[in-house]
Amino acid sequence: MLPQKRPHPDSKTKLPPLSETERVLYELIKSKQNLGIWTADMKRETGLQTTVVTKTLKSLQNKNLIKDVVNIHNKARKIYMAVEFEPSKEISGGSWYSDGSLDTDFIRILREQCLKHIERLQVATMEAIYKSIQESRVFKVECTMQQIVEIVNAMVLDKEVEELKSTGIGDFSKVQSGKICYRSLKGREGPKVGSFSSIPCGVCPRISECTPDGIISPKTCIYYNKWLKLEF
Amino acid sequence: MAAQCGLKLAVSLITAHFGDLVAKVCSCLLHRGTLSLQEIIRFTELSSSQIKNCLLVLVQHNCVQAFSTPRPAGPGGVAKAVTQYMALFDNILHRMRFAKFLAVVRDDLGPQCEILLAGLLQNGRLTFGQLVERATSSKPEVSASMREGLRANFNRLVSARYVERCPRPEPFIEPSPQEETRSTRRRSAKTSEEILSIEQRAMVAAALSDAERFSEITDTATETIEVKATDHSSDVSVGDKRKYGALEMDQEVQAAITQNEVLWQANFEKFLLCLKKKACVAHVRSRFGLDAGAVLEAMIESSGQQKAKDETPVRATMDSILEGVRAKPGGISMTLEHIRVILDQLHCQSCNWGAGASYSIDLKSIIDTCQNDEVEALVLTRFGKEAYRIFRLLIKNGHPFETDRIADIAFVEKKDAQGILYKLWKDEYLDMEKVVSYAAGQKELFLWKVKKDALWEHVLNDLYHAALNLSQKIAHIVEQEHEVSQRREKPEQLRNGRMILELSLLKLDDALMLFRDF
Ligand code: SF4
Repeated sequence: MLPQKRPHPDSKTKLPPLSETERVLYELIKSKQNLGIWTADMKRETGLQTTVVTKTLKSLQNKNLIKDVVNIHNKARKIYMAVEFEPSKEISGGSWYSDGSLDTDFIRILREQCLKHIERLQVATMEAIYKSIQESRVFKVECTMQQIVEIVNAMVLDKEVEELKSTGIGDFSKVQSGKICYRSLKGREGPKVGSFSSIPCGVCPRISECTPDGIISPKTCIYYNKWLKLEF
Repeated sequence: MAAQCGLKLAVSLITAHFGDLVAKVCSCLLHRGTLSLQEIIRFTELSSSQIKNCLLVLVQHNCVQAFSTPRPAGPGGVAKAVTQYMALFDNILHRMRFAKFLAVVRDDLGPQCEILLAGLLQNGRLTFGQLVERATSSKPEVSASMREGLRANFNRLVSARYVERCPRPEPFIEPSPQEETRSTRRRSAKTSEEILSIEQRAMVAAALSDAERFSEITDTATETIEVKATDHSSDVSVGDKRKYGALEMDQEVQAAITQNEVLWQANFEKFLLCLKKKACVAHVRSRFGLDAGAVLEAMIESSGQQKAKDETPVRATMDSILEGVRAKPGGISMTLEHIRVILDQLHCQSCNWGAGASYSIDLKSIIDTCQNDEVEALVLTRFGKEAYRIFRLLIKNGHPFETDRIADIAFVEKKDAQGILYKLWKDEYLDMEKVVSYAAGQKELFLWKVKKDALWEHVLNDLYHAALNLSQKIAHIVEQEHEVSQRREKPEQLRNGRMILELSLLKLDDALMLFRDF
């Protein structure tokens, strides 16, 4: 599960005694704030040897002054940052990332929850969905309104839910007229089956090479023969 | 110019319906543009009488329109009028929709009218007399009341605009000023715009006024040629014609076509409008329910719009909507309030038009959604769910998005997003732009966007291609069925296969119309 990531206020706790190299490296790392710094850049900026840097980093980590974080753009590049900082969005990938990869479990659960609550409410505004999720104790992890907005918007793109303007009456009686609200499309619409996409030519990778009398031709087409046999 | 595959499809339709020779002439016109008889002879190397027969067939079936235009004979020479033939691409494609057209009339006016229309579709153009002959050929004698019944049904077809008088056979087109100053040949790649314009002008000149097109027949005995030859006064003089053999032959072609009676043909525009209405109503019904479908149908029907391509919003007064809705099954129970809510749901604008409250709706936006659905379905089956989400994001917003931003919104790993976007771009679903950002060090960014016009054209071409493939596959199976039945084997498997293909072709053609005709 994903914890809430908020930058901690600058801690004024007293530092443990540090050696000269430890101090230099620590100050450099800390100066980079929530962007952190890559080991290779440390070597370049301090002029220290690789072995010295590695050893110093380890001791700073033992003293709980710095931490390593995963950079989503390049997982092989080790990045260090002072413990009081949370990695910036550029490094961590944002609130949907955990340990440098998309937190698919969290996303899946949140989607399921959103759908469940939308279905229960039938027609609901973003705020109502958020409130409903917050109030249900089933969902233990905290989530923000922003996260709900992002999830529901993606579900609109997937045609799992639809975005509508409330008319204020009938199905919409619970939502103020004119407000944007959401409704589940389950069992009603969903992605359309196109008339083109449902025949072999629609998804055929060879369509540009296919000609009436060519090597690839409708007459000899294996996709069609397969498709038609399946239907028999 | 229609897409390449579209031309191939058109030629294959003509081949299937009229044979190779007619198809050869038609293909020549489709690929090279408007030509004179002499030019067709040169390009096809067929004899002039063969070509004339082919042209006769094509004109008879409304696949070719003739017009004449003067062409300078060289320095100091006398300008001579030359008959030009142009292929009517859309009319050729409509040939695969005849079953749909017949169904429209059957549902609206009943089986009697359907039989009359079938006669017209089969024969291209007919006089009313010929239609009567056709309809009564199995009967020993034609009574006056029978003829009267046919006439009534025929007039119903005309007044509903399913049937119209044929356009002028060969309007004379004055060359436009730019064309006159040019001594070189008109037809070259550079002048394609001018060719279009002369062809469009020919279509306009050939068209009759609405009053002429849909004037019903009062009494078959006095049926006369009111419309014919109205513009022959501007044609070249008889003396001129005598000088040129080719022209004389063209006149023969013409004379055979234009009989001494008014010719009638199916009005494709009206059928397309009906099919467009059907598509829009079906879409609205599936999205907003039966009642919404009925309201939209009533709006379109009372708006009096005549062309499927008409992009002006459909307008109707509240009274006419009410009247239309009440005539529909289940419509009688709909309250005014309910209809108002539906109009609001459909994003209808209220406007001041005619007496009382009226509303307008933009059918184009419904058609747009249907088109999007079709392309999105392609993306989903070809590239998967994530690509579908990304594509929908881009098409919904219309403006470019940067890779990382797309990944964020679509909940896709940045690396995967890059891969998906690249695939979509490679298959020409997306447009990509590379920009360099200097914000945090030099960094290359990629912006992605759906280039709708180009993509739509691309999809349309693929649709033509697929329709061609389907029809060839069907023809192939028909052949096989024939062989199998001769060997006295069971042809069920083949027959089932053919039925699936035929159904698919009908559905595919719905998509074709969606992109081309609506
Ligand atoms: S006929 Fe077969 S090979 Fe040709 S485009 Fe269609 S599916 Fe592909």
